[in-house]
Amino acid sequence: MLKKSLGLIIIFILLIVSAFGCSSSKSSTDKGKKELVIVNWKDYGSDDPAVVKEFEKKYNVKITHQYMASEEELLTKLRTGGVGKIDLILPNASILPVAIKENLLEEIDTTKLSNYQYIFDQFKKLPENQKDNKVYAVPWVWGSTGLAYNSNEIKENVDTVNILWDKKYKGKIAFRDDFNDAVMTAALALGQNPNNPSDLNAIKKKLVEQKQLNRTYWKTGDEFSKLFAGKQITVGLMWSGQAAAMKKNGEPINYVIPKEGAIGWVDNWAIVKDSKNYDLAVKFIDYMLSKKFQEDWVKKGGPNPVNIEVTKNLDAEFVKQMGINEETIAKLHFISYHSDAEKKQWNEMWQEVKSQ
Amino acid sequence: MIKKGFGWLYTGIIFIFLYAPIAVLMLMSFNKSQYNSLPFQFSTRWYKDLANDQTLIDASLTSIYIAAVTAIFCVILATMLMLWIVQTKSKWKKWIDSLVILPLTIPWLILGLALLLLLNFLKLDKNYFVLLIGHIIVSLPYTVMVIKARLQSLDLTINEASASLGANEWTTFRKITLPLLFPAMLAGGFLAFVISFDNFILSYFLIPSGHSTLPIEIYSSIKFGFTPVINAVSTIILAGTTIVILFIIMVMKASLKYLFK
Amino acid sequence: MNKKFWLVSPPVLLLIAFCVIPLFIMVYFSFLSDGADPHLTLSNYLDFFQKGFYLKLTWKTISTSLIVTIICILIGYPMAYIMAKVINSGKTIILIAIIIPFWTSQLVRAYSWQNLLRDGGILEMILRKFHLIGSEPLGILFTQTAVIIALVHIFFPYMVITIYMSLEKMDHSIIEASKSLNAGPFTTFWRIILPLSKPGIISGSILVFVPSLGVFVEPRILGGTKGSVIGTVIEDQFFEIYGWNFGAAIAFILLMIVLISIAILSKFAKEEV
Repeated sequence: MLKKSLGLIIIFILLIVSAFGCSSSKSSTDKGKKELVIVNWKDYGSDDPAVVKEFEKKYNVKITHQYMASEEELLTKLRTGGVGKIDLILPNASILPVAIKENLLEEIDTTKLSNYQYIFDQFKKLPENQKDNKVYAVPWVWGSTGLAYNSNEIKENVDTVNILWDKKYKGKIAFRDDFNDAVMTAALALGQNPNNPSDLNAIKKKLVEQKQLNRTYWKTGDEFSKLFAGKQITVGLMWSGQAAAMKKNGEPINYVIPKEGAIGWVDNWAIVKDSKNYDLAVKFIDYMLSKKFQEDWVKKGGPNPVNIEVTKNLDAEFVKQMGINEETIAKLHFISYHSDAEKKQWNEMWQEVKSQ
Repeated sequence: MIKKGFGWLYTGIIFIFLYAPIAVLMLMSFNKSQYNSLPFQFSTRWYKDLANDQTLIDASLTSIYIAAVTAIFCVILATMLMLWIVQTKSKWKKWIDSLVILPLTIPWLILGLALLLLLNFLKLDKNYFVLLIGHIIVSLPYTVMVIKARLQSLDLTINEASASLGANEWTTFRKITLPLLFPAMLAGGFLAFVISFDNFILSYFLIPSGHSTLPIEIYSSIKFGFTPVINAVSTIILAGTTIVILFIIMVMKASLKYLFK
Repeated sequence: MNKKFWLVSPPVLLLIAFCVIPLFIMVYFSFLSDGADPHLTLSNYLDFFQKGFYLKLTWKTISTSLIVTIICILIGYPMAYIMAKVINSGKTIILIAIIIPFWTSQLVRAYSWQNLLRDGGILEMILRKFHLIGSEPLGILFTQTAVIIALVHIFFPYMVITIYMSLEKMDHSIIEASKSLNAGPFTTFWRIILPLSKPGIISGSILVFVPSLGVFVEPRILGGTKGSVIGTVIEDQFFEIYGWNFGAAIAFILLMIVLISIAILSKFAKEEV
């Protein structure tokens, strides 16, 4: 009997020990210091070692990053014991209303943020970031999904999303494989409200029509850039940030926000309910909004800054291409909150289009 | 003779098919263009980038570590199982036989999401423990197949002879069975290592957020785009493996004959 | 011998706890409704069977996997046969060389195929150099063909190894006996060698067919607008919209398909051998 269970126990102990070997052990020599726990995407600005070091030194604090693989995971983290342990998170519109409603977030006193005044007004007005005139999330970076085309191949003036339905470019178009982008883009082309489309059937028809003209659907930004550089495609839906990176690498790519508008997204900082380090968290957000940080990051290829002041120090051509100005931002339809049922419906419609 | 020539010709054609994409990915690791565009321009910049890319190096090391642990556990578990199975007369034998083969009949995608649902059911975070177990489960049947084939071809009466000469079970195992089984264990472990190393789907479902293995690092370059650095890392791994294998072949020429029997 | 149960209990318990039980949990989830207050329901399954396009995708996935399996048999069998019966040196090297491509990630290989197969890509350039094609583009990338090529490339080593193992085990004296009875090489092959290697073909087919049902990366990267398969639908459910219960239902249906086809295959194997 003993022998029987011994083998079992040994195997499992060995397994658990090996599991620990995977996660690189981090020494905790910083005992006694306050600890600011942040949940963010990996390699996404705030976890840059130089950035972390500067803040840690200035406020004598230890910063710990945890990572999320999706917004949904972040929400789950908060619901299952994250409150009280995590200080700062980076939610977007897809989970913010739920998190606010479930009382998982702390109100943010924007008067304590010295850099709040420099944020573009449009971002301050995002409905998902507030409730009952209380601010729960502060915009940090943003981007758009517009049109990118090969300027060597397309000489005409590209200004409409309908180019994706133009038979002239049949077999040279790359649409995005993403139900949200698909529905919103088709809604733009049809003149419907992208965040609240009135006629899903018309959108489906429009997308099926578009499908015939595609070279392919792309899922990852990398696929797009390889196809573009390999001259397999000449026009398609594209992210502002990646288009800029490709241009920097010498690709003949032009990025435009069509006159019908384009899809926009914003990442926001929020403070978790019952955070023990509320003041430090506010200071960190302020630091993240600072001109210096935002400028450094965008120059290293990060997403668009929300801080107006930064644009002054950036290359004017770049600012124009990325549309970092009020006029362009006004044309963006920021992805808003959708219920699970709505997402399911959109996704199912998109699957159906793809299966045809 | 003609038959033989034909055989080699066919082998050659198959190998062209097998190695064409490999050759291309190696070639592209030396191509200057970030987007694999042609014409080809020789450059070692991706190797220099790789040397500075700690994330990618870490992910590769994690992959190697996971694969090694998986291989070791698979060999141990498979040997235990097979020693029992070839000797037993238990009524459970048939059931256990099918149980061991079960993971082969489940697409990895399904096993991955079943394990994810298990974690969700138990209200646990994704963790390396379950990730490792997942890898072991998918690789185990392969190791079992290799070791079983070898054990069946062994003459187990040697064991009985040894026992009748007064050797206890452990001594018999250590002195007789183990050396005879060793090539198969090595081959089985090798197979498990390979299967785990390239396993993307299971890791994709089970890896804790913020961590990554090499295949995940590649797939999740969604946000930042992947560069030929990935090709460079693959090339290095391929070259390294080939050298290790050649070394093994040289050292153990004799026992290798049984490698895949 | 039963007292040696401690030998089997660790692997067996491991498999039950982390393979059998999770599948049952998956089945349980597949009967749950979405929302904050889940209850048992059939709606996930009804959804699947009422929407024609899910069935269409399922059928497409099955047929693609079948084609991949058949191609693997057709090109893998000769390879295994050559290794086992034709050549007598360098077998180990060939076997190892067949496995080495496993060392490169499937994903990287998928991108390599993109490079090779695309219009104006490497394959087109080579074929044109030898005047095997005219000036028209190759047109393979973003078709079902491209997906099948990549899948065969990934799974065909499994087929070669299992068939090789069954051929190698075969007693050479049987073949000699057949020859001495004046059977021609074709008859010997058809009546003796092929039936005896059937278990290898069957298990190889399982090793190829089952994983091809669950792929989603290659169809996505190489299949273009027609790249949807049941695997991509499941992936979307889990990673895009968090419809885990519906995803579990599709996965369960897929699993049933697998089990049924394996049952058919093994019955087939028994009848013939």
